[in-house]
Amino acid sequence: MTTTSSVSTPQFHSFPIQPASLLWASKHCFDLRAAINNDNNNSANPEDEEEEEQCIQDTGKAVVNNSESESGTTKLLDWKKDPISKFQGMITTLPPFVFVMKRGAGSNFVMKSRPSRPGSVADLVRRGQLRSDRRGISTPLKYEDPFNNPLVKVGKSNSTIEICGKVYRLAPVTLTEEQQAIHQRRRSRAYQWKRPTIFLKEGDPIPPDVDPDTVRWIPANHPFATTASDIDEDLAQSNVYQKHGVPFRIKAEHEALQRKLEALQNEQKLNKLVIDTGNAKEFERPFRFNAKANELVEQNPLNSQSGDSKPSKPDRTPNPFNSSSSSEEMQKP
Amino acid sequence: MLTLKPLPANTKPSLLSSLTPFRPKTPNPNKTLQTSLKPRNPISKGGVGKTTTTANVGLSLARLGFSVVSIDADVGLRNLDLLLGLENRVNYTLVEVMNGDCRLDQALVRDKRWSNFELLCISKPRSKLPLGFGGKALVWLVESLKSRQEGCPDFILIDCPAGIDAGFITAITSANEAVLVTTPDITSLRDADRVVGLLECDGIRDIKMIVNRVRTDMIKGEDMMSVLDVQEMLGLALLGVIPEDTEVIRSTNRGYPLVLNKPPTLAGLAFEQAAWRLVEQDSMKAVMVEEEPKKRGFFSFFGV
Repeated sequence: MTTTSSVSTPQFHSFPIQPASLLWASKHCFDLRAAINNDNNNSANPEDEEEEEQCIQDTGKAVVNNSESESGTTKLLDWKKDPISKFQGMITTLPPFVFVMKRGAGSNFVMKSRPSRPGSVADLVRRGQLRSDRRGISTPLKYEDPFNNPLVKVGKSNSTIEICGKVYRLAPVTLTEEQQAIHQRRRSRAYQWKRPTIFLKEGDPIPPDVDPDTVRWIPANHPFATTASDIDEDLAQSNVYQKHGVPFRIKAEHEALQRKLEALQNEQKLNKLVIDTGNAKEFERPFRFNAKANELVEQNPLNSQSGDSKPSKPDRTPNPFNSSSSSEEMQKP
Repeated sequence: MLTLKPLPANTKPSLLSSLTPFRPKTPNPNKTLQTSLKPRNPISKGGVGKTTTTANVGLSLARLGFSVVSIDADVGLRNLDLLLGLENRVNYTLVEVMNGDCRLDQALVRDKRWSNFELLCISKPRSKLPLGFGGKALVWLVESLKSRQEGCPDFILIDCPAGIDAGFITAITSANEAVLVTTPDITSLRDADRVVGLLECDGIRDIKMIVNRVRTDMIKGEDMMSVLDVQEMLGLALLGVIPEDTEVIRSTNRGYPLVLNKPPTLAGLAFEQAAWRLVEQDSMKAVMVEEEPKKRGFFSFFGV
């Protein structure tokens, strides 16, 4: 029964009972209880404390409903004496009791049948957080002509639109095809991604003709990988936690990238005309190591540009197109 | 290393999220219903309204008479069934179909309100991620939907998971058209730009966007990026602009898509218009800016 009261109590807290009227209510309740007990000659039903609590609340409700508080007290006084008014009092107090009992019974039922899985839709409905009668069973909106919605009207000048009785101003879209193309080009430079086309597991070498960006590595503990007979569970476990240095796939990818870079560099060596001369000149400067040359540079930058008189670089040619190759030759020793 | 180019200077803050629905390449400018449309994908950042858009656009299309199959490809966090109020009817999923436990038509949940709308979930919540599930499974699914006896569905909408992880890559595999759902804020904008970049890398060029949760009052006060600002930053054609609406939450909790609300709501009508543009393969030529003040009549002073 205590559960009943705890469940039903919050229902009554919402009644706005002022402190003064609460005091009056408890007094009233006490009297009321005494009256009931008198009426039944103290024998019929000794109501438990729960009912007493509810009594307080119910009479509080009665206070709210009947604002004639003063006449209420006088009635109460008369009531003890007069059997007719006693009967009237019983009638006035009975309905709230019935109400309480009903609520209590209902909530008890809810407590018993609470589902085992909390958070499900059925549970939410039972707890009153969702309304069961509103889940997918109301009548849907149907149009006579779905292609012509009467609630959306475009204004005569095409600069306004009326939706649901409200008029909105329209601004034309200014995006052009060119702008769209510019954005596409920007994105294609900014985001480079390739859908993985080859799936390798730990230990597989990357085939030479495969772009390392398109490789997806199957982790060693993946069920597909472990079905392969050459991977044992211990190895898979240790690989997962990367206990032994750099994981294989990172090493393999790094090496593949390295090879790709080298191949690119080799290509560049073959066609050197790609290197632009301005950049090549920039690269020359750091290679003037000795102090004399530096001094010369400071004193006479024009001389240093020509570089003819410098003994430290006998093989150097003034031709800017050859400058990059000369700097490479310098690097070799 | 990726280098991001600075976006056009914009003083107003903007939100954006992306959603992409799959769409057929067949041009369909007529109002006749003889269109054969292919799958589309809604794609976006989390919480921008991908699933809401899928549900509403899907049911709008169904109401227009098209046959629609909506696939919830958000494997781990599926919600489309809840939004549609069909959660109690999902008995079989694609995983069971692939395992051979049921047929494909048994896994398709037909909506009772519009029988040309069907829902397919990839897996059950709390079940383990299917091992063999990948892009190929979705390609197979779309192919078998196209070749089934009832005929190819006009639209296949694929509700993508948020983010750009493996689930997303899987979901976009079979798409040939995308709808990006975004809100007008800077976080969504950045994510949307990246998502669009990925889609373009993957060969999906037909991308349109829906700007969701737009508030004209905030745009007017320059507290929110305007739709045109969003468009300027992303350079995508507009499929729709959905105003912020409290009815969206209510309809979500009721399991009753917004577009079916009677009387219709502002956001519901906007979804409907977006669905229609999807059919027409059209994009917005003008956007709603603000509410026009009511014209005051001669007697308005007296409250007439």
